[in-house]
Amino acid sequence: MTDPVLTVEGLTVNYSVGAGTFHALQDVSLEIRPGEVVGIVGETGCGKSTLGHAIPRLLPEPPARIESGRIVFRGTDLVTVPRWKLPMVRGTGIAMIFQEPLNSLNPAFRVYDQLAEAVRIRRLRESGRLPMFRPDRDDPFDYSRPPPPPKGGTLANAIVPGGVTAEAVQGRRLGSYRDDVLEYLRLVRINDPETVLGLYPHELSGGMRQRVMIAMALSEKPSLLIADEPTSALDVTIQAQVLTLLKELIDEIHTAVLFISHDLGVIAETVDLLGVMYAGRLVEIGPAAEVFESPRHPYTKALLRATPNRSKAEGALDTIPGAVPNLSRLRPGCRFQPRCVLARPVCANDPHPPLVPIGFGPAPAVHRTACLFPEEVAQLP
Amino acid sequence: MNAPPLLELDRVQKFFPISRSVSEYFAGRPGRNIHAVDGVSLTVGSGETLGLIGESGSGKTTLGWLVCRLHSVTGGRIRFGGEDVTELAGPALRAWRRNVQVVFQDPVGSLDPRLRVWQIAGEPLRAQGGLGKSEVRRRVRDLLPSVGLPPDCLDQYAYEFSGGGRQRISLARALSVSPRLVVLDEPTSALDVAVQAQILNRLVELQRARRMAYLLITHNVAAVRYVADRVAVMYLGQLVELGSMRAVLDRPVHPYTKALIAAVPALDVRRRRTRYRIGGDVPTLIDPKPGCRFAARCPFVIDRCRVEDPPLTAYPGDPERLVACHRAEEVRDIAPSELLAPAGAS
Repeated sequence: MTDPVLTVEGLTVNYSVGAGTFHALQDVSLEIRPGEVVGIVGETGCGKSTLGHAIPRLLPEPPARIESGRIVFRGTDLVTVPRWKLPMVRGTGIAMIFQEPLNSLNPAFRVYDQLAEAVRIRRLRESGRLPMFRPDRDDPFDYSRPPPPPKGGTLANAIVPGGVTAEAVQGRRLGSYRDDVLEYLRLVRINDPETVLGLYPHELSGGMRQRVMIAMALSEKPSLLIADEPTSALDVTIQAQVLTLLKELIDEIHTAVLFISHDLGVIAETVDLLGVMYAGRLVEIGPAAEVFESPRHPYTKALLRATPNRSKAEGALDTIPGAVPNLSRLRPGCRFQPRCVLARPVCANDPHPPLVPIGFGPAPAVHRTACLFPEEVAQLP
Repeated sequence: MNAPPLLELDRVQKFFPISRSVSEYFAGRPGRNIHAVDGVSLTVGSGETLGLIGESGSGKTTLGWLVCRLHSVTGGRIRFGGEDVTELAGPALRAWRRNVQVVFQDPVGSLDPRLRVWQIAGEPLRAQGGLGKSEVRRRVRDLLPSVGLPPDCLDQYAYEFSGGGRQRISLARALSVSPRLVVLDEPTSALDVAVQAQILNRLVELQRARRMAYLLITHNVAAVRYVADRVAVMYLGQLVELGSMRAVLDRPVHPYTKALIAAVPALDVRRRRTRYRIGGDVPTLIDPKPGCRFAARCPFVIDRCRVEDPPLTAYPGDPERLVACHRAEEVRDIAPSELLAPAGAS
């Protein structure tokens, strides 16, 4: 079993604002291995974007504050890394795709300039001209993932260790990044990349912008890609195209992916391992097929059942009574307890139940739930 | 057919002119138009729900605004209860508006942050009836439970509510004058799935109780399946398919409808191994060329599609159903799932 690229252990994040302290994340733990796609699903305000931003330390601190926990990325705890070193982690270490591609591309620069910057930074880091983040143990981003399949083009070639330095030193002039940039645009299936090079972000459609974002994230050859709602701003047919592209690229380049979405359908199509979040807690995690087919947390079950799947003639939709709790006024006990059909006094009185495995299996992939009564969840209609 | 339908659109068009630059003006270049809605004809019967699905830029919101007379049409007629309302203006238009109300997509932007709930939800009452404050408050208080809000929230502000709560205030505002048609413009797309289910349930209950008609404009196929009786599919300003909900969503004929339904992610882990086969982007709406507007992306395209507009014609065997495709007969049995390829194939 390969070592995980990322291990998050007991991560707790609070936001201190005027109205009080919001417990945005509490005791979140997960692992991502090379080539694995881990999905995080949950409703608005459940902390999934906070998690996505906390990992590369992109949260504004303050008001955010990492209270406790570790974010171990390739052997280094990012929580203790000094802030000035963090930009070295981002890009070539951890790359992100954000939800709204128009806001994450610089409107004043052409597509070429934005992509070339990413390529240039990677080359400079690889050739030692820019400081690159060195983990404590001596394996600086060796991309020691399973050997990539041959079809990957430039991406796969440069992932191979040692194959980069010689040609990276050349080409300090911006113009010489053109070939690389074109290659990446082709990789994300952009037709006519020569024209797209010279366009500004506002001249692109939403799907194209998101492709450019993906190209930019991948051009730095990250060990970990965090995709925060990458298709939520897109139309459904364009979303299907971008998802197809992401699925193909994930298969090609074997990067580890943390895929955050509120859309259960999108998640079902994409991820290997699925974590379900509720009110800042990870309440269930396991292989996607198991979580979808036999959910063991009442919230997961309720969420799946609330998805519209019938006509009004076939009866009303199931809903979850009540509302998401206010994260600044949390009571002890299970956070889902006030809305849960299985709730008992013990759920409100005991501390929040930890994630416990159901059944047996290899440790990282085993299905775990934070419910005291997983057997009874299975019995729910 | 004896009674006229509640709402009838007859080849309605809405073009938005693109402003010309000074040099273009002096060079004598003709002005260009965005054909947002281009010849749409449809009807909505009393008490029924017509679901209008389409992607952004298909003109569905513009069509909704035309129905509410928030835009004026470029061409075509709008009839309401058999009466032509296309040219209504002034006091007559204001009086007519009590028949048609609208719930907007954005639950934040569509509610005035400086007004209290009773003022927001009672605004149509004041505009229509000139009712006094105490009467408006009384009516709004009676109305709030029906949309699922507590009656004692009259004096709260909109920002004190969650997205679902705001959408309920919007709904109360629309219902306050007992309209015969409510235009629901993406009522749930800003909401989480659990809240969305609550709002959709509420919409169906209200319709049963009050027998009003809905024009549900959305890109959410699942919501349309739950709420709608009939479905119209729009692509680039034109209708491509219209028919009963079951027929259109379960046995779509038009290739675009198939592509749309195939693209909806299902709660199905096995779909992980599939690849979506419809490429291309949505083309521009600026002075579109003749020919089927889906031709550039359609997997079943033939030469005729690129030159000749397919008319929206009755589909053999189902008089309720209209399809705008030259090859409707040939492609009708192709299931949407065939637009998904297994992984590995390209």
